[in-house]
Amino acid sequence: MARKALLISPELCIGCRGCQTACKSWNQLTGQKTKNTGTYENPPDLTPNLYNKIRYVEIPSETNPVRWLFVNQRCMHCDDAGCMKICPAPGALFKTKEGAVDFNKEKCIGCKLCVAGCPFDVPRYDEKDKISKCHLCSDRIAEGLQPACAKTCPTGAILYGERDSLIGLAKKAGYEKVYGETDLRGLGALYAFKDPPKLYGMDERPAIPETVMFWHKVLKPLAYIGLGGAVAASLLHYIAFGPKKDEEVKKDE
Amino acid sequence: MSNKMVRKANAFEIINHWVLAVSFFILTITGFGFLFHLEQLNSIFGSFNSMKVIHNWVGVIFSISLFFTLFYYLPQALKLSSDDIGWIIKGGGYFSKSAVVPPQDKLNTGQKLFYLLILLMGIAISISGFVIWLMPGVKNWVLLSHLVHNISFDIMVIVVPVHIYLGTLANPGTFRIMVYGTVPIDWAKKRHAKWVQKMGF
Repeated sequence: MARKALLISPELCIGCRGCQTACKSWNQLTGQKTKNTGTYENPPDLTPNLYNKIRYVEIPSETNPVRWLFVNQRCMHCDDAGCMKICPAPGALFKTKEGAVDFNKEKCIGCKLCVAGCPFDVPRYDEKDKISKCHLCSDRIAEGLQPACAKTCPTGAILYGERDSLIGLAKKAGYEKVYGETDLRGLGALYAFKDPPKLYGMDERPAIPETVMFWHKVLKPLAYIGLGGAVAASLLHYIAFGPKKDEEVKKDE
Repeated sequence: MSNKMVRKANAFEIINHWVLAVSFFILTITGFGFLFHLEQLNSIFGSFNSMKVIHNWVGVIFSISLFFTLFYYLPQALKLSSDDIGWIIKGGGYFSKSAVVPPQDKLNTGQKLFYLLILLMGIAISISGFVIWLMPGVKNWVLLSHLVHNISFDIMVIVVPVHIYLGTLANPGTFRIMVYGTVPIDWAKKRHAKWVQKMGF
């Protein structure tokens, strides 16, 4: 199956937060009390009950005193996902056939290593210490429906579809670079940014932490190669030199 | 030849060494389970959820057991002298049947160095384990601890099999220390001359 993705266009977003509401509605996530801190951005950050949100970024300049960016923030559904790489529990995080990074709370052991492995600070933990995050409405897309956020978006700022055609669409619309086209072997949430990603609060080059990559490439294989090598070396020594039999041990006179 | 036995380890030492060894085995098996997603282990530990609980609490037992080793191995392990250099030069006498190594203390050079290495790695793996367990989600601390935990794990799974080999197959007569705590005095004279001498035999 061709990989599916979301194409997010801040230029089209009107900041209505319908995506936040639709997501909560479909996934039956409860609301929460927050404080007004002088911004429309609300809640202030992703929570175990908030899988996606709009980040509001104000960038006043001389030519445009009211430039206001609305960026949908969520799990990016990386192809090479740091959370899945570091997760010690098989089946707790898994890929759906559409390419979404989904989770199974029953298999999650609550260690929160995925929080450390994620390049985008996405995974949250619920009150039972189980992972909670956007799963691209895996139950909806498995039935051929769109994710709730894309379905409800009134302006087409969140589009769901085949990843390749979404990239084509963005390029046709004049975006030379699509954020997430190649990062982490390609993200499942693509962004059509007019300006450098930093302006939208995104990392220029998102990557899995280097320590995690070193662990994955070197330390993990060394665990069984080292163990096997030590056992093999001991046996080889036994064959080549044999045991130190008591009658053979000499005293230093 | 006299049949006289001499005590090399007391009951507490023997039990503590077994506690350390068994906890190490359980931690290594469950650790490999987490590293390589060995779902076959569910038949032993039930699920990865219960395996995590076992790994964490056996880690506590391992740390306590490691702490107790400080009292009877550390003072001996730090008694390094020129005889230890001689031992290293001779490769512990393990690579030639005619090799004669310098007289040794209660712990020989290899045992001293092995203990110091296990102590350092054990402290590293314990502290990093507790950080991962008790400070979940604190990204930089967890990443550093995850790295330290895995480096010390790798070193331990390499040196411990060699330790087991040297304590069993390679040196007949050694393993009984872990069972009875005693060795024949003549056996000890050949391997731990300085220790036997100090005891006045």
